[in-house]
Amino acid sequence: MKKTTVCLFSTLILGMSVLTGCSQNAISGDSQKDGSNVITIVAQTAGAEKTRVDNLVKASEKLNEELKAEGKNVQVKVETKDFEGSWDDYAKQFMLAFKAKKEPDIYATGHENIGWLADGHYIQPLDEMKNSKAYSDVFPTLWNSVTYKGKTWGVLQDTEVRPVFYNKDILKKMGWTDQQINDLPEKVKKGEFTLDDMTKLAEEAKAKGFVQYGIVHRPVDGPDFQALAYDFGDKLYDSAENKIVFDKKAVAKQLNYYYDIAQKKLIPDQLTSMEWKNVHKLVVNGKTLFYYGGIWNVFNWSQDNYHDQLGKVDANWVNQHLGMMLIPAADKGGKPVTLSHPFVYTVSSQTKHPDLVKRLLELVADPKLQVDHDVKTYHLPVTKSAAEDPEFKGNVTLGHASYMLDYTTFLPNLEKFPKYSKDVFNAIQAVELGKQNPDAALKDLEVQLKNDLGDQLEIVE
Amino acid sequence: MSTLLRKWQLPFLMLGPFIILISLFFFLPVVLITVLAFTGMDSSMQWAFNGLSNFKHFINDPNIWHILRNTFTYVFFTLLINVFFGLVLGILTTYFIQKESVGLLFRTLWMLPRITPPVVYVLLWLWFFDPSQYGVLNSIRALMHLSPVKWLASNPMTAIILANGLIGASYGMIIFSSAIKSIPGDLFQAARVDGASQWAIIKDIIIPAVRWPLMFVTLWQLLSLLTSYEYILLLTKGGPLYSSEVLALYSYHKAFQNFEYGYGSALALVLVVVALIMSAILLKIFGMNKLMGSSRIE
Repeated sequence: MKKTTVCLFSTLILGMSVLTGCSQNAISGDSQKDGSNVITIVAQTAGAEKTRVDNLVKASEKLNEELKAEGKNVQVKVETKDFEGSWDDYAKQFMLAFKAKKEPDIYATGHENIGWLADGHYIQPLDEMKNSKAYSDVFPTLWNSVTYKGKTWGVLQDTEVRPVFYNKDILKKMGWTDQQINDLPEKVKKGEFTLDDMTKLAEEAKAKGFVQYGIVHRPVDGPDFQALAYDFGDKLYDSAENKIVFDKKAVAKQLNYYYDIAQKKLIPDQLTSMEWKNVHKLVVNGKTLFYYGGIWNVFNWSQDNYHDQLGKVDANWVNQHLGMMLIPAADKGGKPVTLSHPFVYTVSSQTKHPDLVKRLLELVADPKLQVDHDVKTYHLPVTKSAAEDPEFKGNVTLGHASYMLDYTTFLPNLEKFPKYSKDVFNAIQAVELGKQNPDAALKDLEVQLKNDLGDQLEIVE
Repeated sequence: MSTLLRKWQLPFLMLGPFIILISLFFFLPVVLITVLAFTGMDSSMQWAFNGLSNFKHFINDPNIWHILRNTFTYVFFTLLINVFFGLVLGILTTYFIQKESVGLLFRTLWMLPRITPPVVYVLLWLWFFDPSQYGVLNSIRALMHLSPVKWLASNPMTAIILANGLIGASYGMIIFSSAIKSIPGDLFQAARVDGASQWAIIKDIIIPAVRWPLMFVTLWQLLSLLTSYEYILLLTKGGPLYSSEVLALYSYHKAFQNFEYGYGSALALVLVVVALIMSAILLKIFGMNKLMGSSRIE
């Protein structure tokens, strides 16, 4: 019996140690040759724009100099992590890592995630950062994107705009002069060229056989669809009530728009089942007149071989063949829109070194570091001093797009907003696939939203 | 007392680790899911008990009837292929192909998808159904100057039933083959002497002899299919829209994509209950006692 007990006990111990094997937290303190303590700060981002965390490494060099000058026996080492996978998986990984106390100290994410991160007590408020010198010249409107329930939950890393790209070569084939082509963004700005005009132009290009498709948009759920909602007058979020607004009239117009362009065969069949790379290929190979894109797509097109003959195409090529304009206003004389989706640095509520992390975040706002990231990845800076940098201003793409920030909008930060976005995307998919007409889709969407969002939904008839 | 201990010592030693593993990985998750199903756990991962809210949510979910109908279609037709195709393969490779080595070769070939990682297996199907002119089906259409068809987007349910059905058939094939092999050869000889046709042999000798394995495979595959979703996730992600979404996948999507862990668990609990009810009904119909009894042949 003794043997049995020993066997059983060792099996248990072995099993438990396998299960809990790696649950010990990494030791963050270490000592260097010169006797100073090394504190490791982990920063994580997702996607191809690695400068988001690499800049933190550069900022740590300056921080270490400062610490040395202050005579402190501490040095900071930034350990970077990048995530490749879907945004859902990126969020899920953070949740689970947090519960296992293995989360990064600095978690870079889209600003719309602040709602659930704050509600789940995953991150800490950073109100004092708003008053710090480093962030004193942030474009004021951008602070709205990190404000939730009256507190500031992150510092801004970068922002962008989502223009409509138009193909200059196709317009030329349609008989447009260079002057007309270059004036198009200005006409959109003034509300002289509307969404209807855009649809008609796309129809004409398709009818004349210059393009395979008139309009292409992103194939998966994302902020662009909500930019259209704003264009139709939706306000999406009631900050006083902290509720998502379901404006039925505006959403009906939003659904009608997608139904209309699908019925007119201006978009590819099953666009919402297409792969991203095929969407990019359609755009750079001139198979569509318009594309609802993002300014960072210029970076994407230079990273992969999307062009059939040229492979990768650089910003100069893009500027030569594609133009950028705001999303045209829904009505003549109306205000066009775009949407920004600032990327932000959030700080874990469990971090052991909140002061050092905050100092690091102040240093990473350095205009030079921002501009380095922005010109490499085609994003826009968050501070005025960085926007004034000659290198940024001289950039052929970025220089042409920064005016769009005056027309920009943001997604609400509310915890349940991703669900709202998914439900609306499903309705758009239903009308584009012709499975439902806009009326039926709107009716079903209302039921779905009531079920999914409960008391966080405010319905405007 | 010590005699009793001695008697149970070895079985306990042998089974102990497995009992621990089963408790940890099978029993505990069911308990966890049951508890979670009564909470509103979301992205904040807090245990907020909310009574029957998730089940009310389930009944009012506008997608749920569509998803239940999909689940029924998927399970029913995949099971049909699993069982009947498995039986056909079993008969073909053991009765019609008398040479053992040839039969074994065919059975091994059919086992290949099962030992292939799901991602690789699904990649082959994705290539087969590819919407461009380079897909297998579309290149055949191209030979006849027909334009490419978006197979997966227009027939997602057919695709997932075929992909799951064919891989599942190998399981039935193995069980049925061994059952057919256990039929004494003189039964076949006597039938042939009496002038029985091949169909009569299959109908009157083989099928009655594999009745129990047939029922076992049906029950086993039914329960597996109810909870399986990995091939659907890899092939169509449940789309387009909800056209190939089944309850198990919906539960996964709710829990791990929408972070509605509570609701996702409630959906999983519904599946567990459905599976238990189906098992009880089928065991009753099939007669488990007889199934466990000794073979009728011999």
